Amino acid sequence: FPEISYLFFFCLGAGAGQDVGRSCILVSIAGKNVMLDCGMHMGYNDDRRFPDFSYITQNGRLTDFLDCVIISHFHLDHCGALPYFSEMVGYDGPIYMTHPTKAICPILLEDYRKITVDKKGETNFFTSQMIKDCMKKVVAVHLHQTVQVDEELEIKAYYAGHVLGAAMFQIKVGCESVVYTGDYNMTPDRHLGAAWIDKCRPDLLITESTYATTIRDSKRCRERDFLKKVHETVERGGKVLIPVFALGRAQELCILLETFWERMNLKAPIYFSTGLTEKANHYYKLFITWTNQKIRKTFVQRNMFEFKHIKAFDRAFADNPGPMVVFATPGMLHAGQSLQIFRKWAGNEKNMVIMPGYCVQGTVGHKILSGQRKLEMEGRQILEVKMQVEYMSFSAHADAKGIMQLIRQAEPRNVLLVHGEAKKMEFLKQKIEQEFHVNCYMPANGETTTIFTNPSIPVDISLGLLKRETAIGLLPDAKKPKLMHGTLIMKDNSFRLVSPEQALKELGLAEHQLRFTCRVHIQDPRKEHETVLRVYNHLKGVLKDYSVQHLPDGSITVESILIQATAHSEDQGTKVLLVSWTYQDEELGSYLTSLLKKGLPQSST
Amino acid sequence: YEDLHTFELQAPTRVIEWARGNRVCVAGYGQSGGNEILQLLAPPTLQVKETQGLCPERDFKVECGGFSNRPVYSLKHVPDTSLLVTSGPPDSSLQVWQVSAEDSDVIKRVSAVPAENGTGQPWAKIATVSARAPWVLHGSRLDSVRITEVESGKNVYAAASRNGEELSSLAFLDCHTLLLCCAKGQLCLADVRQPPSPLEAASVPSAPCGERWCMGVGRGPQGSDSRSRPVVRLSSGGHLILTDVRKTSESLASAKCRVPSPSSGAEFLCVSWAPALEGCLAVSGFDGTVHVYDAQSWDGSGREAEPVFVHKGHAFGGAGGGADPPQVTVHAWHPQKPRTLLSAASDGSLHVWDWVQSCGKC
Repeated sequence: FPEISYLFFFCLGAGAGQDVGRSCILVSIAGKNVMLDCGMHMGYNDDRRFPDFSYITQNGRLTDFLDCVIISHFHLDHCGALPYFSEMVGYDGPIYMTHPTKAICPILLEDYRKITVDKKGETNFFTSQMIKDCMKKVVAVHLHQTVQVDEELEIKAYYAGHVLGAAMFQIKVGCESVVYTGDYNMTPDRHLGAAWIDKCRPDLLITESTYATTIRDSKRCRERDFLKKVHETVERGGKVLIPVFALGRAQELCILLETFWERMNLKAPIYFSTGLTEKANHYYKLFITWTNQKIRKTFVQRNMFEFKHIKAFDRAFADNPGPMVVFATPGMLHAGQSLQIFRKWAGNEKNMVIMPGYCVQGTVGHKILSGQRKLEMEGRQILEVKMQVEYMSFSAHADAKGIMQLIRQAEPRNVLLVHGEAKKMEFLKQKIEQEFHVNCYMPANGETTTIFTNPSIPVDISLGLLKRETAIGLLPDAKKPKLMHGTLIMKDNSFRLVSPEQALKELGLAEHQLRFTCRVHIQDPRKEHETVLRVYNHLKGVLKDYSVQHLPDGSITVESILIQATAHSEDQGTKVLLVSWTYQDEELGSYLTSLLKKGLPQSST
Repeated sequence: YEDLHTFELQAPTRVIEWARGNRVCVAGYGQSGGNEILQLLAPPTLQVKETQGLCPERDFKVECGGFSNRPVYSLKHVPDTSLLVTSGPPDSSLQVWQVSAEDSDVIKRVSAVPAENGTGQPWAKIATVSARAPWVLHGSRLDSVRITEVESGKNVYAAASRNGEELSSLAFLDCHTLLLCCAKGQLCLADVRQPPSPLEAASVPSAPCGERWCMGVGRGPQGSDSRSRPVVRLSSGGHLILTDVRKTSESLASAKCRVPSPSSGAEFLCVSWAPALEGCLAVSGFDGTVHVYDAQSWDGSGREAEPVFVHKGHAFGGAGGGADPPQVTVHAWHPQKPRTLLSAASDGSLHVWDWVQSCGKC
């Protein structure tokens, strides 16, 4: 039986989007502790990039404290610190994520590890073996599959859109539940559907709100501008470099360009750099069921991820003359192939680089987006950037409209907004509270929020007791609560309401009958049987709805209450009425007694 | 198009008001309450910057918001303050709002200017100016025109007309000259320095009856007399009349714009001068389009004019088929960028567009 019925929310580090932060949320629900996401902050090069796990517990093992860890999707700001957390800090419990996330996470983690350690020479970082060991602790889940973490805690994943394999998770203990959205998108795009959840009515919905204040330019206009820029550059013989994170937006842009090239009958080559991206396409094909309806339909005729106009890239192609478009990793131009190509092409103003995502401070991507045109490379070399620098934001997060839609779908009792910036979002809070009549919280990083729930505890009632209670008295009124007597048995995490007799029997206790007898003195000089007759007539007249009987032995019964008359031992003019009832008839018994104490009406006989 | 951005508001708006610092205000006009007043920060792509740095964002951001029980039919920013004034049914009172202080993003209602006496007054039209103190000019009929000091609520001026004609637009030509346009098309001038005298309404020359009119007042060339500001009137039948304020009974030039028949009413009629493109004006409210005209080519004949550009984007929006096609509710020019306009429609869409300059002037 859960003793504590409150929800405890603690945000170890939140953020996404604008300030690519690290998401890591701790929820304590009915005594169970769950960690939601375990992200890395890519802007820092020291320990600040990982969440501060000492917040959870100062001493004592994390494995004992946490019941499970849930990862919503493969973006590094949601899973980047996972190997550090499980292998370097120490956690051996279960880690839950969807199948595509489980397949793609290790690739991204290894890629990032390589760049950070091999290229930058970092030391306090997780190793390849640690990534492998960490993934061994992962339990993959399917959408809408209820997974029992233990006897009391269960989780269920819902489709979140956003990127391949992204899920929103429902965490349930008994009748209390929390839904964590991770990053989600309520509008479908070219390769993913929209997020969806049923009317699960959680006690708390935790949702990302960084983009809540955004009113997004339509997709059509973004795509139109993107294609226009690419087309213009290619028409004048220039080369277009698109640095990508390989998984996610890259697929979307590929589909977009492929369709455009086909429609406009363009001949310039499009390349997709190898390695990470090949594997990514391979995984997209594997998880075709995670993409949207339209893609799945066309997959039957022709695999949408096999492109006619897009070929694999070879390093040597970068020196080829003439126009071309190249997708290369990594996305922020901080190392690797995309940086190599950038250096080759930067000096020609006919060329263009299109950054499709936000760049973290310190990366080349960020510098050129800020307007820097002279970059210092290794060996004090200065690179002059003459190529056009463009930014196209295609990121798919829920905006205010999307958040309202999700709340409308799930019908939570409370809403908690997680945001990267320390902005005041009073207006959104009021909007949600007014529209849905729920409480809305927006804690800052490191802040604790306590939410009280009203748990409803189901109790089984025995059929016999139910029948008995509905039999007595007036017909039950569905709207009015009915008072009843029973015994509540709490045993083995179950609650049963049974009749007292059955309870006694089950508990092996002897039943004792309590009987009350009350003496009422009546002034009446006549004989006992005449007094009895008077009492009988009086009661018959007053208690019309009750069964009043005059028995042959001279006693009166009112329902199961017994009334007998005797003469007073000392005073013949006084009669003593003995009113006797069992404990169950207490109410009627007391009423009768006070009625008789008022005296009898003068009789005419 | 040179540029086109399309957005979707959660609720349609019939006001677009530019405020300082690249901000735009919109507000809902739903009859059943729960309307939002939003102050949006326009995307950096709409800023005019000397060094065109990168434009990382193309989205509007909701900077502040407030809740209004009434539908908002008119919204004006009060210059040199952080106040907004709104008006709307069921009466002609005004609501004054404070756009947030530093620590909150909520637009709060701070005061109200009470309605005129008499029942059944339609909603008030408003205009604002920063004179000795921030003023709001408001009224629903010619006989109820007043100027109220926004912060103190004090009445500064009241028109003395007995004419109960319904007003459709009003404007400050400068801080002491008012120009009023009646729904039937008459123009009235008033000087607040003079004692209030009965306003003379000059009617529209050769105008067909039964049409509703509205007005647009341009900035005029810099440093010029306020009386040389261009004035145009638009009717629900598509007639456009240019007038010199000094001679309101005559018309300088006129034209006719293409109006779909049958005309869908005058609810959202809107005409405005381009602040940075001489002689250009925009017209909307007949259907889902916005027309841009070059008025410099007009003469006195009143024949149909050819638009320089037509924005059709709103007509294609919304669910196809059954539902009524969206109607453009309001448009507004960008204060600095010459060919950039914002337009909103009844389906909640908000477009920002910029058309390619053809070889002509506009």
